[in-house]
Amino acid sequence: MSAPSTSQSSSTRAEAAPLLELDGVFAGYGSTTVLRDINLRVQAGEAVVVLGANGAGKTTLMRTISGLIPHTGRIRVDGNQVSRVRPDAMLRLGIGLVPQGRGTLTGMSVRDNLRVGAVSRRGARAIGTDIDRWCEVFRPLGQRLNQVAGTLSGGEQQMLAVARAMMARPRLLLCDEVSLGLAPLIVQGLFEVLGQLNSDQGTALLLVEQNAELALQVAARVYLLEVGSVAASGPAAEFQHNDAIRRAYLGY
Amino acid sequence: MQIFLDRLSSGLTAGSIYVLIALALVVVFRCSGTINFAQGEFALFTCFVAWWLSTKGWPLALALIASMAVGFVMGMVAERALIRPVRRRSEVATLIVGLGLFTGLNGADGWIWGPADKTFPELLPHSPNDYISIAGSRLHYDSIGIFVGMLLVVLLLTLLFNRTPFGLQMRAVATNAESAALSGVKVGRVLSVSWGISAAIGSFAGVLLVPVLPPNQLDLSSFFSILIFASAAALFGGLDSVKGAVVGGLGLGVVESMLNGYGTFLGGSLQLTLALFIIVVVLVFKPTGVFGARRIERV
Repeated sequence: MSAPSTSQSSSTRAEAAPLLELDGVFAGYGSTTVLRDINLRVQAGEAVVVLGANGAGKTTLMRTISGLIPHTGRIRVDGNQVSRVRPDAMLRLGIGLVPQGRGTLTGMSVRDNLRVGAVSRRGARAIGTDIDRWCEVFRPLGQRLNQVAGTLSGGEQQMLAVARAMMARPRLLLCDEVSLGLAPLIVQGLFEVLGQLNSDQGTALLLVEQNAELALQVAARVYLLEVGSVAASGPAAEFQHNDAIRRAYLGY
Repeated sequence: MQIFLDRLSSGLTAGSIYVLIALALVVVFRCSGTINFAQGEFALFTCFVAWWLSTKGWPLALALIASMAVGFVMGMVAERALIRPVRRRSEVATLIVGLGLFTGLNGADGWIWGPADKTFPELLPHSPNDYISIAGSRLHYDSIGIFVGMLLVVLLLTLLFNRTPFGLQMRAVATNAESAALSGVKVGRVLSVSWGISAAIGSFAGVLLVPVLPPNQLDLSSFFSILIFASAAALFGGLDSVKGAVVGGLGLGVVESMLNGYGTFLGGSLQLTLALFIIVVVLVFKPTGVFGARRIERV
Protein backbone atom coordinates (compact mmCIF):
# COMPACT_ATOMS: atom_id res chain seq x y z
CA MET A 1 0.00 0.00 0.00
CA SER A 2 3.02 2.28 -0.04
CA ALA A 3 3.07 2.79 -3.79
CA PRO A 4 -0.29 4.61 -4.06
CA SER A 5 0.59 6.94 -1.22
CA THR A 6 3.91 7.94 -2.83
CA SER A 7 2.16 8.73 -6.08
CA GLN A 8 -0.47 10.61 -4.17
CA SER A 9 2.06 12.76 -2.35
CA SER A 10 4.05 13.42 -5.52
CA SER A 11 0.92 14.49 -7.35
CA THR A 12 0.08 16.79 -4.47
CA ARG A 13 3.54 18.22 -4.70
CA ALA A 14 3.13 18.73 -8.44
CA GLU A 15 -0.23 20.43 -7.92
CA ALA A 16 1.27 22.74 -5.38
CA ALA A 17 4.15 23.98 -7.55
CA PRO A 18 3.37 27.63 -8.09
CA LEU A 19 3.40 29.15 -11.55
CA LEU A 20 5.85 31.73 -10.28
CA GLU A 21 7.89 31.68 -7.12
CA LEU A 22 10.49 34.07 -5.77
CA ASP A 23 12.69 32.63 -3.06
CA GLY A 24 15.12 34.85 -1.23
CA VAL A 25 15.45 37.30 -4.08
CA PHE A 26 17.65 40.37 -3.79
CA ALA A 27 17.82 42.91 -6.59
CA GLY A 28 18.84 46.47 -7.23
CA TYR A 29 20.67 48.94 -9.38
CA GLY A 30 24.43 48.98 -9.26
CA SER A 31 25.48 49.18 -5.65
CA THR A 32 22.00 50.01 -4.36
CA THR A 33 19.96 47.05 -3.16
CA VAL A 34 16.28 47.79 -3.57
CA LEU A 35 14.65 44.40 -2.97
CA ARG A 36 15.63 42.41 0.06
CA ASP A 37 14.82 38.77 0.63
CA ILE A 38 11.62 38.67 -1.37
CA ASN A 39 9.51 35.54 -0.95
CA LEU A 40 6.46 35.56 -3.12
CA ARG A 41 4.37 33.14 -5.12
CA VAL A 42 1.59 33.14 -7.66
CA GLN A 43 -0.42 30.01 -8.40
CA ALA A 44 -1.79 29.25 -11.84
CA GLY A 45 -4.98 31.19 -12.42
CA GLU A 46 -4.54 33.33 -9.31
CA ALA A 47 -4.82 37.11 -9.09
CA VAL A 48 -2.32 38.65 -6.73
CA VAL A 49 -1.66 42.30 -6.05
CA VAL A 50 1.48 43.92 -4.64
CA LEU A 51 0.74 47.15 -2.83
CA GLY A 52 3.16 49.68 -1.49
CA ALA A 53 4.13 53.30 -1.38
CA ASN A 54 6.34 55.07 -3.87
CA GLY A 55 9.88 53.83 -3.71
CA ALA A 56 8.91 50.57 -2.05
CA GLY A 57 10.39 48.64 -4.95
CA LYS A 58 7.26 47.58 -6.82
CA THR A 59 8.58 48.40 -10.29
CA THR A 60 11.96 46.91 -9.41
CA LEU A 61 10.12 43.71 -8.51
CA MET A 62 8.34 43.58 -11.87
CA ARG A 63 11.51 44.29 -13.79
CA THR A 64 13.42 41.66 -11.85
CA ILE A 65 10.85 38.98 -12.60
CA SER A 66 10.96 39.91 -16.28
CA GLY A 67 14.72 39.69 -16.36
CA LEU A 68 15.43 43.35 -17.03
CA ILE A 69 17.36 43.64 -13.77
CA PRO A 70 19.83 41.05 -12.44
CA HIS A 71 19.07 39.40 -9.12
CA THR A 72 20.42 36.95 -6.59
CA GLY A 73 18.21 34.29 -5.14
CA ARG A 74 15.93 31.87 -6.88
CA ILE A 75 13.15 32.51 -9.35
CA ARG A 76 11.13 29.40 -10.17
CA VAL A 77 8.52 28.82 -12.83
CA ASP A 78 6.35 25.70 -12.39
CA GLY A 79 8.73 24.60 -9.68
CA ASN A 80 11.80 24.69 -11.92
CA GLN A 81 14.47 27.25 -11.24
CA VAL A 82 15.10 29.57 -14.15
CA SER A 83 18.83 29.80 -14.75
CA ARG A 84 18.95 32.81 -17.06
CA VAL A 85 16.08 35.15 -16.37
CA ARG A 86 15.70 37.27 -19.51
CA PRO A 87 12.64 38.97 -21.01
CA ASP A 88 12.24 36.76 -24.05
CA ALA A 89 12.98 33.63 -22.02
CA MET A 90 10.39 34.50 -19.39
CA LEU A 91 7.88 35.19 -22.10
CA ARG A 92 8.43 31.77 -23.58
CA LEU A 93 7.79 30.36 -20.10
CA GLY A 94 4.45 32.13 -20.18
CA ILE A 95 5.12 35.27 -18.17
CA GLY A 96 4.45 38.62 -19.83
CA LEU A 97 4.94 42.14 -18.55
CA VAL A 98 2.91 45.29 -19.11
CA PRO A 99 5.69 47.71 -18.20
CA GLN A 100 5.37 50.96 -16.37
CA GLY A 101 5.21 53.76 -18.87
CA ARG A 102 3.54 51.34 -21.29
CA GLY A 103 6.55 50.75 -23.54
CA THR A 104 4.59 51.62 -26.64
CA LEU A 105 6.43 51.17 -29.93
CA THR A 106 5.73 54.75 -30.75
CA GLY A 107 6.79 54.99 -34.37
CA MET A 108 4.84 51.93 -35.44
CA SER A 109 1.15 51.48 -36.13
CA VAL A 110 -1.27 50.02 -33.58
CA ARG A 111 -1.59 46.90 -35.69
CA ASP A 112 2.18 46.50 -35.87
CA ASN A 113 2.41 46.92 -32.11
CA LEU A 114 -0.01 44.04 -31.67
CA ARG A 115 1.85 41.96 -34.25
CA VAL A 116 5.09 42.49 -32.36
CA GLY A 117 3.34 41.20 -29.25
CA ALA A 118 2.81 37.93 -31.08
CA VAL A 119 6.37 37.35 -32.37
CA SER A 120 6.83 34.39 -30.09
CA ARG A 121 3.84 32.64 -31.67
CA ARG A 122 3.22 30.80 -34.91
CA GLY A 123 0.02 30.74 -36.90
CA ALA A 124 -0.95 33.87 -38.79
CA ARG A 125 -4.66 33.13 -38.64
CA ALA A 126 -4.81 32.68 -34.89
CA ILE A 127 -2.79 35.86 -34.47
CA GLY A 128 -5.20 37.71 -36.74
CA THR A 129 -8.15 36.44 -34.72
CA ASP A 130 -6.51 37.63 -31.53
CA ILE A 131 -5.95 41.08 -33.01
CA ASP A 132 -9.64 41.26 -33.90
CA ARG A 133 -10.60 40.10 -30.44
CA TRP A 134 -8.51 42.74 -28.68
CA CYS A 135 -9.94 45.39 -30.96
CA GLU A 136 -13.37 44.37 -29.76
CA VAL A 137 -12.37 44.40 -26.11
CA PHE A 138 -10.70 47.77 -26.51
CA ARG A 139 -12.82 49.71 -28.98
CA PRO A 140 -10.41 52.65 -29.49
CA LEU A 141 -7.70 50.26 -30.67
CA GLY A 142 -9.99 48.84 -33.32
CA GLN A 143 -10.76 52.33 -34.56
CA ARG A 144 -7.12 53.25 -34.80
CA LEU A 145 -5.47 50.11 -36.13
CA ASN A 146 -3.48 51.94 -38.78
CA GLN A 147 -2.69 54.97 -36.69
CA VAL A 148 0.81 55.61 -35.39
CA ALA A 149 0.82 54.37 -31.81
CA GLY A 150 2.66 57.40 -30.47
CA THR A 151 -0.34 59.59 -31.28
CA LEU A 152 -2.70 57.64 -29.04
CA SER A 153 -3.84 59.07 -25.74
CA GLY A 154 -2.45 57.77 -22.44
CA GLY A 155 -5.43 55.56 -21.80
CA GLU A 156 -5.38 54.15 -25.30
CA GLN A 157 -1.67 53.42 -25.06
CA GLN A 158 -2.31 51.59 -21.79
CA MET A 159 -4.96 49.48 -23.51
CA LEU A 160 -2.48 48.83 -26.29
CA ALA A 161 0.18 47.80 -23.79
CA VAL A 162 -2.16 45.28 -22.17
CA ALA A 163 -3.31 43.95 -25.54
CA ARG A 164 0.27 43.72 -26.79
CA ALA A 165 1.31 41.69 -23.77
CA MET A 166 -1.74 39.46 -24.08
CA MET A 167 -1.03 38.79 -27.77
CA ALA A 168 1.67 36.41 -26.56
CA ARG A 169 -1.04 34.48 -24.65
CA PRO A 170 0.87 34.45 -21.37
CA ARG A 171 -0.23 32.31 -18.44
CA LEU A 172 0.73 35.05 -16.02
CA LEU A 173 0.41 38.75 -16.73
CA LEU A 174 2.55 41.15 -14.74
CA CYS A 175 1.02 44.63 -14.64
CA ASP A 176 3.12 47.53 -13.42
CA GLU A 177 0.88 50.39 -12.29
CA VAL A 178 -1.56 50.32 -15.18
CA SER A 179 -3.66 52.96 -13.48
CA LEU A 180 -0.89 55.56 -13.41
CA GLY A 181 -1.93 58.88 -14.84
CA LEU A 182 -5.25 57.70 -16.21
CA ALA A 183 -8.78 58.99 -15.72
CA PRO A 184 -10.84 56.99 -13.18
CA LEU A 185 -13.35 55.83 -15.76
CA ILE A 186 -10.64 54.41 -17.97
CA VAL A 187 -8.94 52.73 -15.03
CA GLN A 188 -12.24 51.13 -14.06
CA GLY A 189 -12.67 49.77 -17.56
CA LEU A 190 -9.14 48.42 -17.57
CA PHE A 191 -9.58 46.60 -14.28
CA GLU A 192 -12.83 45.11 -15.54
CA VAL A 193 -10.94 43.67 -18.48
CA LEU A 194 -8.18 42.38 -16.23
CA GLY A 195 -10.72 40.84 -13.92
CA GLN A 196 -12.39 39.07 -16.81
CA LEU A 197 -9.05 37.82 -18.07
CA ASN A 198 -8.55 36.21 -14.72
CA SER A 199 -12.01 34.83 -14.10
CA ASP A 200 -13.02 33.79 -17.62
CA GLN A 201 -9.72 32.91 -19.20
CA GLY A 202 -7.75 31.77 -16.20
CA THR A 203 -4.84 34.10 -16.84
CA ALA A 204 -2.95 34.59 -13.62
CA LEU A 205 -2.32 38.19 -12.63
CA LEU A 206 0.39 39.84 -10.61
CA LEU A 207 -0.56 43.47 -10.29
CA VAL A 208 1.50 46.23 -8.85
CA GLU A 209 -0.65 49.14 -7.86
CA GLN A 210 -0.88 52.27 -5.83
CA ASN A 211 -4.64 52.35 -6.42
CA ALA A 212 -5.39 49.82 -3.71
CA GLU A 213 -9.18 49.99 -3.78
CA LEU A 214 -9.67 48.85 -7.38
CA ALA A 215 -6.87 46.34 -7.23
CA LEU A 216 -8.34 44.65 -4.15
CA GLN A 217 -11.55 44.03 -6.05
CA VAL A 218 -9.70 41.98 -8.61
CA ALA A 219 -7.12 40.23 -6.47
CA ALA A 220 -7.43 37.17 -4.27
CA ARG A 221 -4.22 37.72 -2.34
CA VAL A 222 -2.17 40.71 -1.32
CA TYR A 223 1.51 41.31 -0.66
CA LEU A 224 2.51 44.52 0.99
CA LEU A 225 5.90 45.85 -0.01
CA GLU A 226 7.67 48.24 2.31
CA VAL A 227 11.18 49.54 1.64
CA GLY A 228 12.04 46.55 -0.48
CA SER A 229 10.71 43.76 1.72
CA VAL A 230 7.42 41.97 2.09
CA ALA A 231 5.89 43.49 5.21
CA ALA A 232 2.62 41.60 5.16
CA SER A 233 0.67 39.19 3.04
CA GLY A 234 -2.67 37.47 3.09
CA PRO A 235 -6.06 37.10 1.46
CA ALA A 236 -7.47 40.25 -0.07
CA ALA A 237 -10.58 40.05 2.09
CA GLU A 238 -8.45 40.34 5.21
CA PHE A 239 -6.96 43.56 3.92
CA GLN A 240 -10.22 44.98 2.78
CA HIS A 241 -12.14 44.32 5.98
CA ASN A 242 -9.49 44.91 8.57
CA ASP A 243 -9.83 48.61 9.38
CA ALA A 244 -6.51 48.92 11.11
CA ILE A 245 -4.52 47.40 8.25
CA ARG A 246 -6.45 49.42 5.73
CA ARG A 247 -5.82 52.70 7.45
CA ALA A 248 -2.22 51.99 8.27
CA TYR A 249 -1.12 50.57 4.95
CA LEU A 250 -3.67 51.47 2.34
CA GLY A 251 -4.53 54.95 3.40
CA TYR A 252 -8.31 54.76 3.33
CA MET B 1 21.87 70.00 -72.99
CA GLN B 2 24.25 67.20 -73.68
CA ILE B 3 26.60 68.32 -70.96
CA PHE B 4 23.70 68.58 -68.57
CA LEU B 5 22.59 65.02 -69.26
CA ASP B 6 26.16 63.77 -69.03
CA ARG B 7 26.56 65.47 -65.68
CA LEU B 8 23.18 64.19 -64.53
CA SER B 9 23.90 60.59 -65.41
CA SER B 10 27.35 60.75 -63.91
CA GLY B 11 25.87 62.30 -60.78
CA LEU B 12 23.17 59.67 -60.48
CA THR B 13 25.74 56.91 -60.89
CA ALA B 14 28.04 58.26 -58.20
CA GLY B 15 24.94 59.08 -56.18
CA SER B 16 23.77 55.47 -56.40
CA ILE B 17 26.96 54.33 -54.71
CA TYR B 18 26.51 56.94 -52.00
CA VAL B 19 22.93 55.74 -51.56
CA LEU B 20 24.07 52.15 -51.10
CA ILE B 21 26.68 52.97 -48.48
CA ALA B 22 24.26 55.38 -46.83
CA LEU B 23 21.66 52.59 -46.70
CA ALA B 24 24.19 50.34 -45.04
CA LEU B 25 24.75 53.06 -42.42
CA VAL B 26 21.00 53.53 -41.99
CA VAL B 27 20.34 49.82 -41.40
CA VAL B 28 22.87 49.75 -38.57
CA PHE B 29 21.79 53.07 -37.11
CA ARG B 30 18.10 52.17 -37.05
CA CYS B 31 18.73 49.04 -35.04
CA SER B 32 21.83 49.76 -33.00
CA GLY B 33 21.69 53.52 -32.72
CA THR B 34 25.36 53.80 -33.69
CA ILE B 35 27.21 54.81 -36.80
CA ASN B 36 29.48 52.12 -38.13
CA PHE B 37 32.62 54.04 -39.10
CA ALA B 38 34.13 50.88 -40.48
CA GLN B 39 31.40 50.54 -43.09
CA GLY B 40 33.65 51.49 -45.99
CA GLU B 41 36.36 49.16 -44.81
CA PHE B 42 33.99 46.20 -44.65
CA ALA B 43 33.18 46.97 -48.26
CA LEU B 44 36.83 47.33 -49.16
CA PHE B 45 37.81 44.07 -47.51
CA THR B 46 35.11 42.15 -49.34
CA CYS B 47 36.17 43.85 -52.58
CA PHE B 48 39.62 42.40 -52.09
CA VAL B 49 38.01 39.02 -51.52
CA ALA B 50 36.05 39.40 -54.75
CA TRP B 51 39.18 40.47 -56.61
CA TRP B 52 41.12 37.53 -55.22
CA LEU B 53 38.40 35.10 -56.26
CA SER B 54 38.36 36.58 -59.74
CA THR B 55 42.09 35.96 -60.05
CA LYS B 56 41.33 32.34 -59.24
CA GLY B 57 39.09 32.19 -62.26
CA TRP B 58 35.70 32.82 -60.66
CA PRO B 59 33.25 34.80 -62.80
CA LEU B 60 32.78 38.17 -61.19
CA ALA B 61 29.06 37.72 -60.64
CA LEU B 62 29.76 34.66 -58.51
CA ALA B 63 32.57 36.46 -56.75
CA LEU B 64 30.12 39.26 -55.97
CA ILE B 65 27.73 36.86 -54.29
CA ALA B 66 30.57 35.23 -52.39
CA SER B 67 31.90 38.56 -51.20
CA MET B 68 28.42 39.62 -50.07
CA ALA B 69 28.20 36.40 -48.07
CA VAL B 70 31.61 37.09 -46.55
CA GLY B 71 30.50 40.62 -45.74
CA PHE B 72 27.35 39.33 -44.10
CA VAL B 73 29.28 37.00 -41.84
CA MET B 74 31.85 39.69 -41.03
CA GLY B 75 29.08 42.07 -40.04
CA MET B 76 27.40 39.52 -37.80
CA VAL B 77 30.64 38.54 -36.11
CA ALA B 78 31.66 42.17 -35.60
CA GLU B 79 28.39 42.96 -33.89
CA ARG B 80 28.44 39.88 -31.69
CA ALA B 81 32.08 39.90 -30.72
CA LEU B 82 33.16 43.51 -30.81
CA ILE B 83 30.22 45.85 -30.58
CA ARG B 84 27.81 44.13 -28.23
CA PRO B 85 30.16 43.72 -25.28
CA VAL B 86 31.09 47.37 -25.53
CA ARG B 87 27.71 48.91 -26.19
CA ARG B 88 26.60 48.61 -22.62
CA ARG B 89 29.49 50.76 -21.45
CA SER B 90 29.00 53.88 -23.52
CA GLU B 91 28.11 55.28 -26.90
CA VAL B 92 31.59 56.65 -27.41
CA ALA B 93 33.11 53.24 -26.83
CA THR B 94 31.18 51.78 -29.75
CA LEU B 95 32.31 54.59 -32.04
CA ILE B 96 35.89 53.95 -31.05
CA VAL B 97 35.52 50.24 -31.73
CA GLY B 98 34.21 51.26 -35.15
CA LEU B 99 37.30 53.39 -35.74
CA GLY B 100 39.46 50.52 -34.56
CA LEU B 101 37.78 48.19 -37.03
CA PHE B 102 38.36 50.80 -39.70
CA THR B 103 42.08 50.93 -39.07
CA GLY B 104 42.43 47.24 -38.44
CA LEU B 105 40.64 46.15 -41.59
CA ASN B 106 42.52 48.59 -43.75
CA GLY B 107 45.77 47.29 -42.36
CA ALA B 108 44.64 43.71 -42.81
CA ASP B 109 43.87 44.39 -46.47
CA GLY B 110 47.38 45.67 -47.01
CA TRP B 111 48.92 42.82 -45.08
CA ILE B 112 47.00 40.01 -46.75
CA TRP B 113 46.96 41.28 -50.28
CA GLY B 114 49.83 43.70 -50.46
CA PRO B 115 49.76 47.45 -51.06
CA ALA B 116 50.11 47.39 -54.86
CA ASP B 117 47.12 48.57 -56.85
CA LYS B 118 45.02 45.78 -58.27
CA THR B 119 43.21 45.70 -61.53
CA PHE B 120 39.59 44.80 -61.11
CA PRO B 121 37.71 42.83 -63.74
CA GLU B 122 34.50 44.21 -65.21
CA LEU B 123 31.11 43.26 -63.93
CA LEU B 124 29.17 45.33 -66.41
CA PRO B 125 30.09 46.17 -70.02
CA HIS B 126 32.52 48.98 -69.72
CA SER B 127 34.04 49.79 -73.07
CA PRO B 128 33.48 53.27 -74.53
CA ASN B 129 31.08 51.81 -77.07
CA ASP B 130 28.63 50.34 -74.59
CA TYR B 131 26.04 53.04 -74.30
CA ILE B 132 22.64 54.19 -75.41
CA SER B 133 22.23 57.65 -76.76
CA ILE B 134 19.74 60.11 -75.31
CA ALA B 135 19.52 63.59 -76.74
CA GLY B 136 23.09 63.40 -77.87
CA SER B 137 24.54 62.31 -74.55
CA ARG B 138 25.87 58.85 -73.85
CA LEU B 139 24.24 56.75 -71.17
CA HIS B 140 26.69 53.96 -70.47
CA TYR B 141 25.47 50.47 -69.63
CA ASP B 142 27.52 50.31 -66.48
CA SER B 143 25.96 53.51 -65.18
CA ILE B 144 22.51 52.14 -65.84
CA GLY B 145 23.56 48.91 -64.15
CA ILE B 146 24.68 50.69 -61.01
CA PHE B 147 21.51 52.76 -60.85
CA VAL B 148 19.34 49.69 -61.32
CA GLY B 149 21.37 47.81 -58.73
CA MET B 150 20.75 50.60 -56.26
CA LEU B 151 17.01 50.59 -56.98
CA LEU B 152 16.96 46.84 -56.48
CA VAL B 153 18.57 47.13 -53.05
CA VAL B 154 16.19 49.93 -52.05
CA LEU B 155 13.23 47.83 -53.14
CA LEU B 156 14.45 44.72 -51.33
CA LEU B 157 15.21 46.64 -48.15
CA THR B 158 11.82 48.32 -48.15
CA LEU B 159 10.15 44.95 -48.64
CA LEU B 160 12.25 43.47 -45.86
CA PHE B 161 11.40 46.20 -43.38
CA ASN B 162 7.71 46.47 -44.13
CA ARG B 163 6.52 43.11 -45.33
CA THR B 164 8.49 40.44 -43.55
CA PRO B 165 8.18 39.18 -39.96
CA PHE B 166 11.89 39.73 -39.46
CA GLY B 167 11.55 43.28 -40.72
CA LEU B 168 8.82 43.79 -38.11
CA GLN B 169 11.25 42.66 -35.44
CA MET B 170 13.97 44.96 -36.81
CA ARG B 171 11.60 47.92 -36.65
CA ALA B 172 10.56 46.98 -33.13
CA VAL B 173 14.17 46.80 -31.95
CA ALA B 174 14.90 50.09 -33.68
CA THR B 175 11.98 51.76 -31.90
CA ASN B 176 12.29 50.37 -28.38
CA ALA B 177 14.60 47.44 -27.79
CA GLU B 178 13.34 46.79 -24.26
CA SER B 179 9.70 46.55 -25.33
CA ALA B 180 10.73 44.32 -28.18
CA ALA B 181 12.55 42.00 -25.79
CA LEU B 182 9.53 41.93 -23.49
CA SER B 183 7.45 40.79 -26.44
CA GLY B 184 9.83 37.94 -27.09
CA VAL B 185 12.07 39.38 -29.80
CA LYS B 186 15.60 38.01 -29.65
CA VAL B 187 17.22 41.41 -29.79
CA GLY B 188 20.79 40.15 -30.03
CA ARG B 189 20.03 38.07 -33.08
CA VAL B 190 18.21 40.95 -34.77
CA LEU B 191 21.18 43.22 -34.20
CA SER B 192 23.70 40.71 -35.53
CA VAL B 193 21.69 40.10 -38.67
CA SER B 194 21.23 43.85 -39.18
CA TRP B 195 24.96 44.35 -39.12
CA GLY B 196 25.32 41.43 -41.50
CA ILE B 197 22.81 42.93 -43.93
CA SER B 198 24.52 46.27 -43.68
CA ALA B 199 27.92 44.80 -44.49
CA ALA B 200 26.47 42.79 -47.39
CA ILE B 201 24.99 45.97 -48.89
CA GLY B 202 28.38 47.61 -48.54
CA SER B 203 30.00 44.68 -50.37
CA PHE B 204 27.49 44.98 -53.17
CA ALA B 205 28.24 48.67 -53.48
CA GLY B 206 31.95 48.07 -53.45
CA VAL B 207 32.04 45.50 -56.19
CA LEU B 208 29.73 47.62 -58.34
CA LEU B 209 31.87 50.66 -57.80
CA VAL B 210 35.45 49.63 -58.32
CA PRO B 211 35.30 48.92 -62.06
CA VAL B 212 33.81 52.37 -62.55
CA LEU B 213 36.29 54.29 -60.43
CA PRO B 214 39.02 55.74 -62.58
CA PRO B 215 41.50 54.27 -62.84
CA ASN B 216 40.12 50.74 -62.82
CA GLN B 217 42.14 49.93 -59.76
CA LEU B 218 41.52 48.79 -56.25
CA ASP B 219 43.65 50.38 -53.62
CA LEU B 220 43.59 50.96 -49.92
CA SER B 221 42.12 54.43 -50.00
CA SER B 222 39.36 53.69 -52.50
CA PHE B 223 36.59 53.85 -50.00
CA PHE B 224 37.61 56.58 -47.68
CA SER B 225 36.13 59.54 -49.52
CA ILE B 226 33.08 57.50 -50.47
CA LEU B 227 32.41 56.89 -46.81
CA ILE B 228 32.61 60.61 -46.08
CA PHE B 229 30.15 61.42 -48.83
CA ALA B 230 27.84 58.58 -47.89
CA SER B 231 27.88 59.57 -44.22
CA ALA B 232 27.06 63.12 -45.18
CA ALA B 233 24.24 61.90 -47.41
CA ALA B 234 22.86 59.69 -44.67
CA LEU B 235 23.01 62.48 -42.09
CA PHE B 236 21.34 64.84 -44.52
CA GLY B 237 18.53 62.41 -45.20
CA GLY B 238 18.08 61.38 -41.60
CA LEU B 239 20.09 58.49 -40.21
CA ASP B 240 17.07 56.30 -39.70
CA SER B 241 15.35 56.87 -43.02
CA VAL B 242 15.68 54.76 -46.17
CA LYS B 243 13.97 57.45 -48.21
CA GLY B 244 16.37 60.00 -46.77
CA ALA B 245 19.39 57.93 -47.76
CA VAL B 246 18.11 57.72 -51.33
CA VAL B 247 17.37 61.42 -51.61
CA GLY B 248 20.54 62.42 -49.80
CA GLY B 249 22.80 60.11 -51.77
CA LEU B 250 21.41 60.90 -55.19
CA GLY B 251 21.17 64.59 -54.39
CA LEU B 252 24.75 64.74 -53.23
CA GLY B 253 25.96 62.83 -56.28
CA VAL B 254 24.11 65.13 -58.64
CA VAL B 255 25.19 68.32 -56.88
CA GLU B 256 28.79 67.18 -56.87
CA SER B 257 28.60 66.30 -60.53
CA MET B 258 26.97 69.57 -61.51
CA LEU B 259 29.59 71.51 -59.62
CA ASN B 260 32.20 69.43 -61.43
CA GLY B 261 30.74 70.36 -64.76
CA TYR B 262 29.53 73.90 -64.31
CA GLY B 263 31.42 75.17 -61.34
CA THR B 264 34.93 74.78 -62.65
CA PHE B 265 35.69 78.25 -61.45
CA LEU B 266 35.57 76.84 -57.96
CA GLY B 267 38.60 74.68 -58.50
CA GLY B 268 39.00 71.00 -57.77
CA SER B 269 38.56 70.27 -54.10
CA LEU B 270 36.21 73.12 -53.34
CA GLN B 271 33.30 71.18 -54.82
CA LEU B 272 33.48 68.67 -52.01
CA THR B 273 33.61 71.53 -49.55
CA LEU B 274 30.61 73.22 -51.06
CA ALA B 275 28.57 70.04 -51.07
CA LEU B 276 29.39 69.37 -47.45
CA PHE B 277 28.68 73.00 -46.59
CA ILE B 278 25.16 72.63 -47.96
CA ILE B 279 24.71 69.62 -45.73
CA VAL B 280 25.89 71.44 -42.64
CA VAL B 281 23.44 74.23 -43.33
CA VAL B 282 20.57 71.74 -43.58
CA LEU B 283 21.59 70.03 -40.38
CA VAL B 284 21.73 73.31 -38.50
CA PHE B 285 18.09 73.93 -39.28
CA LYS B 286 16.89 70.34 -39.08
CA PRO B 287 19.25 68.23 -37.01
CA THR B 288 17.38 65.01 -37.59
CA GLY B 289 17.91 65.30 -41.32
CA VAL B 290 15.31 66.10 -43.95
CA PHE B 291 13.37 62.83 -43.56
CA GLY B 292 14.61 61.64 -40.20
CA ALA B 293 12.14 60.85 -37.46
CA ARG B 294 14.12 60.00 -34.41
CA ARG B 295 15.56 62.72 -32.27
CA ILE B 296 19.29 62.30 -32.38
CA GLU B 297 20.60 63.12 -28.96
CA ARG B 298 24.17 62.01 -29.02
CA VAL B 299 26.44 61.30 -31.92
